[in-house]
Amino acid sequence: MGWFGTKRSEAPDATSRQDRQKCWESRDAYFTCLDAAKVVKPGDEGTTCADTKGPYERNCAKSWIDYFNKRRVLAEQQQGVLAQAQNQANAARNR
Amino acid sequence: MSASSLSAPSFRAIASSSRRALSARHAFPSTVPRLAKLPTSSGTRDKSAVGVFTPKAAALFAVTGAALFFYFRSEKDKLQEQRRKEKEDQVVGRPQVGGPFTLTDHKGKTFTEKDLLGKWSLIYFGFTNCPDICPEELDKMSAAVEKLDKEYGPIVQPVFISVDPARDSVPQVARYVSEFHPRLVGLTGDYATLKATCKAFRVYFSTPPDAKASDDYLVDHSIFFYFMDPNGQFVDAFGKVSTEEDVVERVKKEIARWEGETGRKV
Repeated sequence: MGWFGTKRSEAPDATSRQDRQKCWESRDAYFTCLDAAKVVKPGDEGTTCADTKGPYERNCAKSWIDYFNKRRVLAEQQQGVLAQAQNQANAARNR
Repeated sequence: MSASSLSAPSFRAIASSSRRALSARHAFPSTVPRLAKLPTSSGTRDKSAVGVFTPKAAALFAVTGAALFFYFRSEKDKLQEQRRKEKEDQVVGRPQVGGPFTLTDHKGKTFTEKDLLGKWSLIYFGFTNCPDICPEELDKMSAAVEKLDKEYGPIVQPVFISVDPARDSVPQVARYVSEFHPRLVGLTGDYATLKATCKAFRVYFSTPPDAKASDDYLVDHSIFFYFMDPNGQFVDAFGKVSTEEDVVERVKKEIARWEGETGRKV
């Protein structure tokens, strides 16, 4: 049981709603800082957002961080494509 | 040689018959004067027909024509609208989604496709280490089921099926589902059974077969959740764009249809 305890303290538990929430909140804080610094790709900001990056990396699993970071970059590019896809979906539904 | 000598007389026969036809036509002119009298009689008939065709009749004709035109056009519109509505949620042939499976539920008990019979079900495929889409979809599903519970009682069963056999053990799944709908059933199994189940449900997932429980990775997978009827037949699938209201509306519609056909809600 002690083994689970140590694992829990160092890594967030994905099955816990609370831990997920904590991860998302620290991600949003970090991304808000990046937005303010006008940086799209996480990691390009230098030391500007260090105080929000720490909690983000503590509260989220490495795979989640990679995923969120990649998605942030992709989201920028996909804005236009998604809007177009939505229009097409609506058109198809009305046909 | 004999062929050409045979064909020659027959040609002559045709020629003579056509000449006879020509002479027969020459005989007709004697009847023409009699035919020429006809125009006068038909002319009087035309006159009487024109006599009936007064401006009043013309107006009546135009009005009737216009009325008929608009009537048929509106009927056509109505028919097209009706067809469109029917088409809206008509299942064009039942897709072969679903099938037999044997998995383990979050309490450690065996769970098969037979446990879903006699109830409507919403089935989501995901994994407990899913960053954000799975929990969002499961929250949406849980909220929809909660609303349907209030309306009908517990006749819609929410189900979560793992696509991450290496990490999603029974206790892991149990912890995960406990924070969603109270009746949410979490199913897991070994790689082969989950792969087979996903194949039956046309779900794609990318977990490597040799992944270890301690690895930190994400699973790429289909994120639809399925709506199945009490016979275990596929009804519809909901994606990320469907809202909780969409799901509730769709399920209600289908339950109403089911009730109309069978007299029962399940």
